[in-house]
Amino acid sequence: MEQILANGVYLGSQYAMIALGLTLIFALMNVLNFAHGQMYVIGGFVTYTFYGQWGVPFILALVMSCVTLAILGALIERFLFAPVIKGSAREESTMLLAAGIAFFLDAVILLFFGEKQRGVPKIVDGVFNYDFRLIMPYDRILICVLAILSIVAFIGLMQYTKTGRALRALAQDRTAAQLMGVNVDRYSMIGFALGAMLAGLVGGLLVTITGVNLGMGGPTSIKAFMMVMIGGAGVISGAIWGGIILGFMEAIGLALLYQYGDITYLLIFVSLMIFLAIRPQGLMGKPWG
Amino acid sequence: MFGFTSKQLSGVAIFLFAIFIGVPLLIGLTGRWDFYFTLTSVALLAIASAGVWLTFYIGRINIGQGAFALIGAYVSAILVVKVGWSFWISLPAAGLFAALVAVLIGLPILRLRGVYFAMITLVLTQVVTLTALALPITNGAKGISNIPLPSGVSIFGIPLLPDFAGMENTKLAFYYTACILMIITYATLYRLVNSRLGHLCRSMQQNEELASSIGVNISYIRIVIFAISSFFGGIGGAMFGSIAQSVYPSSFQVADSVNFMLNCFLGGLGFVFGPMLGTLVLYFGWDLLFEFGKYQMLIYSTVLILIIRFLPNGLLSIRFGKGGDK
Amino acid sequence: MQRRTLMKAALTAVSLIALQATSALAENPVLKIGFVGVTSGPAASWGISNQRSMETRAAWINETGGYEIGDTTYDIEIVSFDDQKDPKRAIAGMEKMAQEGIHYVVGPNVDDGAAAVRPVAESNGIMYFPYAFPKSLYEAPASNAVLGMVANYQSGPAIYKYLMEEKGVKTVAFIAANESDPLSQRDGGVAAATALGLEVVSDNVTYQVDTTDFTPVLTPVMRSRPDLLVLSGVSPANAPQLIRSARELGFQGVISTETAQDSGVLTEGAGDLANGFISVGGASTPELASPMMNEFVDRYTKMFGEYNDESNTKVYALEYILETLKADPTALTDVDAFQATMDTFEAPNPYMNGDATLRYVGMSSFGQKRQVAVPLVVNVYQDGKFETLFVAEVD
Repeated sequence: MEQILANGVYLGSQYAMIALGLTLIFALMNVLNFAHGQMYVIGGFVTYTFYGQWGVPFILALVMSCVTLAILGALIERFLFAPVIKGSAREESTMLLAAGIAFFLDAVILLFFGEKQRGVPKIVDGVFNYDFRLIMPYDRILICVLAILSIVAFIGLMQYTKTGRALRALAQDRTAAQLMGVNVDRYSMIGFALGAMLAGLVGGLLVTITGVNLGMGGPTSIKAFMMVMIGGAGVISGAIWGGIILGFMEAIGLALLYQYGDITYLLIFVSLMIFLAIRPQGLMGKPWG
Repeated sequence: MFGFTSKQLSGVAIFLFAIFIGVPLLIGLTGRWDFYFTLTSVALLAIASAGVWLTFYIGRINIGQGAFALIGAYVSAILVVKVGWSFWISLPAAGLFAALVAVLIGLPILRLRGVYFAMITLVLTQVVTLTALALPITNGAKGISNIPLPSGVSIFGIPLLPDFAGMENTKLAFYYTACILMIITYATLYRLVNSRLGHLCRSMQQNEELASSIGVNISYIRIVIFAISSFFGGIGGAMFGSIAQSVYPSSFQVADSVNFMLNCFLGGLGFVFGPMLGTLVLYFGWDLLFEFGKYQMLIYSTVLILIIRFLPNGLLSIRFGKGGDK
Repeated sequence: MQRRTLMKAALTAVSLIALQATSALAENPVLKIGFVGVTSGPAASWGISNQRSMETRAAWINETGGYEIGDTTYDIEIVSFDDQKDPKRAIAGMEKMAQEGIHYVVGPNVDDGAAAVRPVAESNGIMYFPYAFPKSLYEAPASNAVLGMVANYQSGPAIYKYLMEEKGVKTVAFIAANESDPLSQRDGGVAAATALGLEVVSDNVTYQVDTTDFTPVLTPVMRSRPDLLVLSGVSPANAPQLIRSARELGFQGVISTETAQDSGVLTEGAGDLANGFISVGGASTPELASPMMNEFVDRYTKMFGEYNDESNTKVYALEYILETLKADPTALTDVDAFQATMDTFEAPNPYMNGDATLRYVGMSSFGQKRQVAVPLVVNVYQDGKFETLFVAEVD
């Protein structure tokens, strides 16, 4: 039981961080960013290169991941998403753009970082073992704490800074925000960069535990979509709840249903569908979508 | 004739001539026999994409067509291999079964809109793949292989359809079959869009509440459209299984569902023939870039990004400002 | 005097022609060999190590003057097609190979692709060498597929038997990804272990292909306390994480797999925790590698920057194709001749020390010779590199 709870908290915190960036971008621009997972993978590879290859301190490597992705995100928003949103009759068309970017980043990752699974040296050694009832390696505990701290910092940023207030206004009502004097174009770009940066940060954090390979991108995006749906699209608290719920569902499902092997995930997915059918806007989403 | 202008009729005639006589002639001249399979794939994927386009028409983003294609492929394979039906009877059966599943699943999920519907259909694709892995009737992980080629059909000794197994060139036969199916599909689609049902769909796409308030039975229309859409998916999938002579849980997966949706976006959501063109460009384009080796993906995605950057409303928006016809 | 000039002129002419002839000789006719497999997306590493092995070997052959088959020396060209792990694309790839006039293709890498290309390969006269294990691909009436490596139902029993005798292993647990290939391999492994008299304590735990954290997945397996944990059909990306999670959960027994792994990936992903990990590899450990194998590794490293140990098992298919063509040059265009030659073909194995031979096997598994005889080299990972545990033969 302790183990399930610990696994749930650990999975939930990392999932929540992945979902946060995605939901932020969605809230601001109604873009379902298919390339989110690829951004996460790039974040992982940047940290791998700096920390694993060149021996730069881990924290610095993490910062590099954030900076790289923030710049990448800003460029993508400025030169691709913004003009396409302006020019398209139906805003869903951005899905094609997002998918194209996902393919593109996949190709770039393959050319730059190769096809192999990569990993970095452990940042902390040792395993916390409480009577074999609760087993958790120290590096996981550290990453979990860092993830929670980042989430808190992000919420703080959104709540108490000028940028955060502008972003929230933008998410609530684009036109109204514009009328109130918010520079919509500028804050869209900042928001997108922030979302991409979050993806890079998670990638950098998790490369110490799971390593990174170019195949992780697509599945990560899909997982993030599911979390966002559970919590409600475009709602920050929803993304956090979605991440935690999916984390716990996996931890509990795997612990209780393991003897049914092949159908554990089937059940998780089916219950997700049933949940959404009953509550179409997720836990705390806006009834539209 | 049927209210078509002569311009439209001649367009259709040119199109039919091109795919039934022009393409085989060109392939015969250039000797690029491999294009038959590629074009057959395009035709079949275009059928499934037509279904996705139809759900777009009622304002739903459908990322679940892979699920119905997989269902269709399995139903046809099981009927042919385990029950011993002729492929030609199993084909409509596969479509109907997919439609039935769509009705059952559609009842609860069609209430969802926007990204929520998109996501739930995405999850549906995974659910169907995982179900295929877990069920005994689908042979689980081992899939169904060694499916016989379509057999001949004759009524009173008059052969209606030839026996594919005895044929010298099954490529050509599959190509013609796929093209005929595709034309039937798009003719149906065109007819549907220009019918009363089509007008109702358009009103739903604009505003469901409003449509409902003026007496449109929106939940009924949603189910019907989703069932037709899935029928197309099932047909496309079943035909593919027959060409590959094997079906696996991974025959259609999330990537396929996403591609079906992208085909529609690329061709243009406002045009009936958009998904056909989108499929051609996306699928055939990948094959044409074969020469570039390891840069294939890079070039492919760059071109894709440029297209959507400069033609955000789809390829067909270049020539046709507005309207739903070719 | 005049005769002399004439002689001179004639000589010059002859030498000029001879020179031209030699330069023409350098431009050998090209023999194309195909590759259809996955070289982009999540499973890219399987196909890329495959494709690069072939390209390395082809470049090497061409650099040293070409490959002699019959009376002609050929330059080898590798034509590769990325099927994106999609069976539909794999068919298109095989059609492309037929279009290019290619009769010998390596790949596809997975079960569904290998099954899907069968109709095309058989109707176009293409022999293909998949890295997929389903027996139906190689048993009659299937005729054109040749298994390019050792199947798990062949290597598994050898490994389990060794561990039972040497390490006293009595109980075994299996874990597999929820996907066709690994699940089939798991079922084969369970059957083999049961037949050997091992007690299977857990065989139904699976994980999603995209799993990044294996602790929750492995926890119930660890509770069954097996002596041996088998990672069925594990991809090189997942292996280090599974090992790491199992060890961190306090697992003390042996971990093994029947797929090929890369030592660099294991070092980065699991470090010392991977010590003692048993996998199937090729002949690149120092004890076994012939000078030619070492040169292959050097050339691969020079060409692509970094070697991949998975390539050890993937170097063979191309060699088999070329050697068999050399044994019977009519097979260049005639696949039936190739199939006939397969029954009697034998040549020395250039990649391995000792008197190992290249020949076709598979009678006991498939009832016909539809598998390349690759030495079954079982490796154990120790401090950053593989060491050979034992070598066996497949019949």
